Amino acid sequence: MRELVLATIADQPDIDVVGEVGNASELTAAIEESQPDALILELGEFEKGRAQCGFLLGRYPHMRILALAPEENRGTIYWAIVDVRMKPLESSESGILSALRERPSLVGTLHS
Amino acid sequence: MSQGAPYRLTHVFLLTENRLLREALVRILSKRVDVAVVGAVAFAPTVLDQLATSQAEVVLLDSPGLAFHGPCLVASIRRVLAPANIVMIGMERDETTFFRAVRSGVMGYVLKDASAMEIVHAVRAVGSGEAVCPSCFSRVIVQCAAQQLASTPEVAAFHPQGLSRREQQLVGLVGFGLTNKEIAARLNLSERTVKNHFQRIFRKAGVHDRMAMIERCQPREATNI
Repeated sequence: MRELVLATIADQPDIDVVGEVGNASELTAAIEESQPDALILELGEFEKGRAQCGFLLGRYPHMRILALAPEENRGTIYWAIVDVRMKPLESSESGILSALRERPSLVGTLHS
Repeated sequence: MSQGAPYRLTHVFLLTENRLLREALVRILSKRVDVAVVGAVAFAPTVLDQLATSQAEVVLLDSPGLAFHGPCLVASIRRVLAPANIVMIGMERDETTFFRAVRSGVMGYVLKDASAMEIVHAVRAVGSGEAVCPSCFSRVIVQCAAQQLASTPEVAAFHPQGLSRREQQLVGLVGFGLTNKEIAARLNLSERTVKNHFQRIFRKAGVHDRMAMIERCQPREATNI
């Protein structure tokens, strides 16, 4: 999955990959070190992943999170403005690229 | 692949439910000079028509649910596109699914954690007539082959009674205690054909029953693996 996403974004002149990790235990250290604008995350279990994204945005509110469940062809983008917001993300190359380029807005479902 | 080197073009059709996987693989495979992507779609009822006219040599599938359950998609693909070699990608490390794939005629099995290069390698290998399986299943495949060989009689090129290879094979199977019906099933023959073979063997060996046939026709020092 990581390699597939890298293949999608590697050739984009306006996107830099600043870090990759293979498991969740290395994630916070990598975010602290690289301070990314966006995090792309594969969700094993979609519902559990929502809580994980809420936690990460509480700690790193400047970041957008693209949470993907590629085997289910679905994803969600999470971001924080006042509160944690979310909206569906298309699990495709164009969906990922436009989500990475999008500016955060107030339009989105509030994360409960 | 080095420039100017001769290469064989492999035509690949991607039938994958995972859209991200499909798009990334099209991008990765299209960069290879020896691979041509002739189709990339998710499953739809019309996909067999597309496959039939695609001239694909390799079909990549990512959904065991579609491939083996209900109307077996693998069998349907092999029916409409005879030369196609099917490779399952993004697979779990699960022996039952692996054997189901092998039984249905899949020629390549690539695990979920395989790299893109491993998928490219599988496409090339299967396209050139090889089979690909993860090393974690190699042992169980060798064990299966050993079992199969142990229950398959050895045959000689020249038999003293002039029995053909097929006839020697039949004698060997009788030696293992198999009935005509079981031999027919094992060798994919009709029972009638098996009986005809035995009549010919009896004639060549100058015997009238199976016990005498085994006594006369089986090499005494024959050993099975």
